Amino acid sequence: MKNIFVLAVLCLLNTTLLAQTPARFTLQGQAVDTLSAPLPSSTVMLLSPKDSSLVNYGRADEKGVFTFKNLKSGEYILKISYVGYLPFNQLVKPTGEAIINLGELQMKPITKELFEVVVRTAKAPLTIRGDTIEYNASSFKVPPGSTVEDLLRKLPGVQVDQDGSIRAQGQEVRKVTVDGKNFFGSDPKLATKNLQAEAIQKVQVYNDKTEQAKLTGVDDGKKEKTVNLELKEEFKKGGFGKATVAAGPASNELPLRAEGKASYNKFNAKNQFSLVGLGNNTNQQGLSRDDYQDFRGSNAYNSNQNADFGFSGGNFFYFSDSGDEGLGIPVSGRQGVGFSNNAAGGANYNYDTKEKKLSGSYYYNQTRLELDAERRRNSTLPQNEYTTDENSNQVNFNGNHRLSLRYEKQIDTLNTLVFINNSRYGFGNAQLLRNQLLTRSDGATTNNESTNRSDQRQFATSNSLIYRHKMKKKGRSFAASATYEINTNDANLLLDSENSYTGPIRPQDQQPNIHQDQRNNTVRTEYKASLQYIEPIAKRYFWETFYNFSLRYDEVDRDVFDRGDRTYVRNDVLSLYYKNNYVYNRLGSSLRYSHKGLNVSAGLAGQRFTLNGEFAPDQMAPTFRSINRVFTTAIPNVNLNYDLKKNRYLYGGYSVDVRIPTSRDLQPVINNSNPLFINRGNENLLPQLGHSVNVGFNYFNPGSFINVYIGTNATRYVNQIVYSQNTDPQSLVTVIQPENRSGGQNLGAYTGFGFPLKKTKATLDLNFSTNQGRSPVLINGDLNQTSTQGYNGGARLSLTPVEWLTFYGNANFGVNNTQFSISPNRNQTFINNNFSGELTLKLPAGLYVNTNLNYRVSRNASLNFDQRIPLWNASVYHILGKAKRAEIRLTGIDMLNRNVSVSLNQGVNYTQSESISTLARYFTLGFTYNMRGVQAKMRKDGFF
Amino acid sequence: MKNLLLALGLLLSLAATAQDAKTEGVVTYVRKERWLKITNRLTFLSQEQKDRMSQTFKNWAENDKGIKMKMSFSPTESLYTYNSDEPEEGGYSWRKSDLFLYRNFAKERKIDVIEMLGKTYIVDDSLHVPVWKIGNQIKEVAGYICMSAETQDTIRNYKVTAWFAQDIPVPAGPERLNGLPGLILELDINDGDVLIEAVSVQFRPLTPADLKMPKQKGKKIDDAAYNKLIRDYIAEQMTAHQNPYWEIRY
Repeated sequence: MKNIFVLAVLCLLNTTLLAQTPARFTLQGQAVDTLSAPLPSSTVMLLSPKDSSLVNYGRADEKGVFTFKNLKSGEYILKISYVGYLPFNQLVKPTGEAIINLGELQMKPITKELFEVVVRTAKAPLTIRGDTIEYNASSFKVPPGSTVEDLLRKLPGVQVDQDGSIRAQGQEVRKVTVDGKNFFGSDPKLATKNLQAEAIQKVQVYNDKTEQAKLTGVDDGKKEKTVNLELKEEFKKGGFGKATVAAGPASNELPLRAEGKASYNKFNAKNQFSLVGLGNNTNQQGLSRDDYQDFRGSNAYNSNQNADFGFSGGNFFYFSDSGDEGLGIPVSGRQGVGFSNNAAGGANYNYDTKEKKLSGSYYYNQTRLELDAERRRNSTLPQNEYTTDENSNQVNFNGNHRLSLRYEKQIDTLNTLVFINNSRYGFGNAQLLRNQLLTRSDGATTNNESTNRSDQRQFATSNSLIYRHKMKKKGRSFAASATYEINTNDANLLLDSENSYTGPIRPQDQQPNIHQDQRNNTVRTEYKASLQYIEPIAKRYFWETFYNFSLRYDEVDRDVFDRGDRTYVRNDVLSLYYKNNYVYNRLGSSLRYSHKGLNVSAGLAGQRFTLNGEFAPDQMAPTFRSINRVFTTAIPNVNLNYDLKKNRYLYGGYSVDVRIPTSRDLQPVINNSNPLFINRGNENLLPQLGHSVNVGFNYFNPGSFINVYIGTNATRYVNQIVYSQNTDPQSLVTVIQPENRSGGQNLGAYTGFGFPLKKTKATLDLNFSTNQGRSPVLINGDLNQTSTQGYNGGARLSLTPVEWLTFYGNANFGVNNTQFSISPNRNQTFINNNFSGELTLKLPAGLYVNTNLNYRVSRNASLNFDQRIPLWNASVYHILGKAKRAEIRLTGIDMLNRNVSVSLNQGVNYTQSESISTLARYFTLGFTYNMRGVQAKMRKDGFF
Repeated sequence: MKNLLLALGLLLSLAATAQDAKTEGVVTYVRKERWLKITNRLTFLSQEQKDRMSQTFKNWAENDKGIKMKMSFSPTESLYTYNSDEPEEGGYSWRKSDLFLYRNFAKERKIDVIEMLGKTYIVDDSLHVPVWKIGNQIKEVAGYICMSAETQDTIRNYKVTAWFAQDIPVPAGPERLNGLPGLILELDINDGDVLIEAVSVQFRPLTPADLKMPKQKGKKIDDAAYNKLIRDYIAEQMTAHQNPYWEIRY
């Protein structure tokens, strides 16, 4: 009531104050229906005739009577609205009189059909233009696959006859247009019978001039009923593609360099289809991240993928199996080392609706990689010292067919089902020629000359089914998953190794020559199941419980034969038949508190590993050695995420990461493919536990563009899987074997600070990190602790002063100290500094220049190692045409011709330098065509 | 549009007949932001990058269930803020930037508490009403027949379509919009970039708690300073090739 009083006072005030002004007038009227019955409390508005803007408004009284007092002289549109009636519009012109009384203003009711069906049921907006009414057809639900004709039948006021002819508001429709344009001639049925209802956004029924009138420009007064169908935006289909080819002359004694890449995408609201293909001999081994996103479309990144439930906030258990290529499509932006020829191609299809999402893809890639390496190694044994000079040439070929399938079904609002399949069939062969010369301090030498020829076929598939159920109670949910994985590898190796000796080496320390056929057949199968239940036990408190089961079955059948001149004898030392079950059970529970950006959880899980295996030289062997181990452990978990005011973020936690030994580490296989470095698995390995604590803080000020982060983490290992080494002092054969060792630890800290020197023009980012580690390992029977301390600092300057110039500069400094407890004389300091700059210039006439220089400095004073490698790349490009769809580009890679891959590393009893020849200077001239246009990238992109 | 404000107060020889008590209560809205559509407005992205984002993240964007907002309203006052601090569906709780938009139609004042750009701002100014163009469309929102009205936001440079109830004579509305002959039940920003839709309207007498502003420290500014802040920030971010709409309310 208060407001009405205020209004009344204001009205009074105004009336008295402004009463003298003659240019003002009072407007009166009464809103009634077609039977002159008053429409009480209807909304009355005065609009400016110029742009319909609202000037004034009020409410009529219970008799529908309204009065606007003190109106400025001028024209107004009077608009009255009342629920269930067509809004009333009338132009009001001043008459010069002080009071204009419009009398009864009749409002037409909206037909009951329109009101109930269109507005209330279909919830479609009605657009009123004079007497014609338009509405949104997409609000009317028709079964998928229906035609426009089926849709029209549902619309009030529209009839469709048996023969398909259409009548709207009683009149026959003579013309159907689509987006205002004629659709396949003049027969209206063609459009309505052929177009899908789903594609229609709006149906407009209106009276159009006849074709005759349009042609002559003379309005004959006749009107034709016309239906216009407006297509949905997303149904305007899209397609785009791009292709790049580039080639350059032979250089550095290499034949010509060439690369090519092409992709094509076609999509509409529900479907995405894409093709991609690439080939090159410039070490580009796969799709870039952008290419991958274009290829996989809506399936590039998926949520709802994880079938192994665990503590929320990370910390999953995982089996990591090194050596195999993953099941997913490889994505890399990096240039590989050596010389590689690469080819890849694939097709992807996604179908997405709210209820159903289906995606399938096929991808093939192959790489032929040639590596020429030189290694020099100085080793120290308690008894003596020796050097190893190694030269090797290796040609590897690898091909992979990958298939992936994903199906997600939203059964209803509470139930979701996801099926994920990823499979790979890989094949490859390799040829390695290697020469190793071992020179002892007394001058005696071992020269090993070996050839490895291998081929392999692998098949791997992983299938997961995940079911999620939300309960009626908000926050309560249940999930279950099942996974089946199989991985087979069938490999053959032809090994030929010959040794020659000089100097005083006893015959018993000389290694026999090896001529072997090795056939390996391994199968790894895994069955997994997981359950999860979340219960909201109180407001803001959630109790989460999970259970995981996994059974991994490994089987290795390895047959090794010694090839003699006329003999072919099975080697019982190296041959092996091994099978093993690794059962894992975990039950865990945690309590989480979530409120206002604070999420804290604490939990505990118990897990049990049971290892049952047996092995013998052969399946037929009379006796098997058996392995039976049980390992039980409790793992606590604490997790904190705190989203604080003003873009500050605090996080931390304590977790125990469990790493299960890989199949390769577990199998008691003796791998002699390098007869001087023998790897042997360890069937008694236990899972590695890493107790980790971390805490960190982030801050970002979007107003001043300042960001700060700081954090620290520490890990202590129990049963860490480390690789012990044992070198026979006489034969110099080293045996490497994984084993469990406790006591290793790692401590790290990092911080960063970024701020604008001048907003939007210059930004400086600084960062610093340090790492202190310690790991124990047995070296020739002695327990050695390797301690490392690393310090890294960096600065990055981004200069974007004008639109036509950008510069990014980086400087990174690194110092690494290493100490070995059993040989303090080998303690050392490595320095790795890296400086780089990238400049992009936009020149007149659509010409662009991009150039970058990277300067790497590696130094080790005690080893007299000092290497400085500058790599300079540049390209000049021009964007062609008005539509800017094509680009021509001249590129120079490593223009100083200095690229080599050289590295130096040092272990407890050795120092090794390695150099691999790698693709260096080359030039290419390239051409790109992109249907969506080529844009020169001046600035580096962040995430938008 | 000063005269509109004036008009609001004056005239209305609005028969003081007691309207049915449909003028006081709480509206619950769902606010959905379509960030992919918003990204498409970024001037510095190429068509290829926009397409890539749209094609890659369309399912993620569709799964967005929006965030619930609420507005307590009476013929003289309104307060618009988040519906709840509790996490939805048992998920993680993310902190929401403070937002309290208070309107007093009788005194023609407003107080907005808005946390953005790393600060809390208190916009304390008289009630400015945008230029509303009344349309010729009606539709139902949350059970009420609404008319359409349009206005242009000249700072963010987009069109806002409001749907106001024909039979709830309260000039309140969600976000920073108000001043229509009926309660705004739906806002459509730039053809669906952001959609704020009423899901329920509950009529009941308001208690002081419903309109209580939290005690907030912040930087006091007026509408002009607020608009300048937003305008400058958008220009700055576009120059820096960053999406400005992560940090300011769209």
